[in-house]
Amino acid sequence: MCGVCEKRGDGMLWYLNPNNYGRSMYKMRPPGEKPVMETPPAEGGGGLLDAAIEAKCEGDLETFRTLTKQMDDGFVTSGHQCSILPLEDCYQVAELASPMAAMHCICRKRTRGREEDESNYSCLGIGTGMLKWERWPERYKGGVKFLSIQETKDWLKYWDDKGMVHMIMNYGGQIGGICNCDYPDCIMIRYRLDYGMDQCLIRSHYVPVVDYDLCTGCGTCVQRCQFGAIKFEITIEKTNIDLYRCFGCGVCETGCPTGAITLVDRASLPGMKNVW
Amino acid sequence: MVIPMYPKIEIDRSKCTVPFDCKRCLQICPQAVFDVRPIKMTRLVETDRKEPGAYQLFALYRDKCTGCDQCVVVCPVDALRVIC
Repeated sequence: MCGVCEKRGDGMLWYLNPNNYGRSMYKMRPPGEKPVMETPPAEGGGGLLDAAIEAKCEGDLETFRTLTKQMDDGFVTSGHQCSILPLEDCYQVAELASPMAAMHCICRKRTRGREEDESNYSCLGIGTGMLKWERWPERYKGGVKFLSIQETKDWLKYWDDKGMVHMIMNYGGQIGGICNCDYPDCIMIRYRLDYGMDQCLIRSHYVPVVDYDLCTGCGTCVQRCQFGAIKFEITIEKTNIDLYRCFGCGVCETGCPTGAITLVDRASLPGMKNVW
Repeated sequence: MVIPMYPKIEIDRSKCTVPFDCKRCLQICPQAVFDVRPIKMTRLVETDRKEPGAYQLFALYRDKCTGCDQCVVVCPVDALRVIC
């Protein structure tokens, strides 16, 4: 059980716990209180990460570590911890969540200047907040597209086929959406892999296991892995998955043409059960 | 311990005024070093991508820069310098 489950799971997987859908994320504002605005970043950067990377480039690794630790702790305090989810679990979320609306991805907008429309929205907003998306035209640039349960599943499958990793977004215990992510576009994956922020993004509750009798060594999984966890092991001419680098997204499993990879419960492997 | 020489990326903001509309450097960078953000936000109004200065370009992940200069070449207004 991951740290978020301990806090928000009520004995089950936190993202399947109905208590974590909707509610306090969209509380009514007390009368007379001004709405909280999206705050634009200060001119010239000014964010913690800007300062951390600047320090790293200047050779001040202590400041770099202090600032990234501060950011990482902030994710735990505010409960803004995302989690990697395999496709099957995303389907279960789609059954529970309502409403669901496809929307543009904020990370891709920032890192690649990418603009998406109804034909290629890659992020999914979940919860009643989606009903008032017009209030944040900057965040929901280009609008949103409301999806039924089946449409959501088809949409998830579409991105899974492309090799995208699914990530469920947690806003202090309230589920805000599912995004389809890759490296380096996804800011959260980058925070964890490149800047060592281990709390902002948590591994899934599953790990892949390879059946070497079925693996043909075709390399499809190597190509699909966004975490650099899979190699083609030349010696045995099969795939080799390093579970300590693996995030359990299951994209290798869904892409394997011979069905050689299966996802098993993380808790079933004693060495992996506390690796998040 | 030897500290690597990280290239410094200078962005001339008097020349780079509409980075989100242009986005050439954002898309070409092999290491995805750049980050574009709206810095002027008005409630209930979408930020105008063609308004000079509404969006700003940052070389946020500059510790990943390899100094390949592809952004410098692709920049239509000659606003970028990579100093190695």
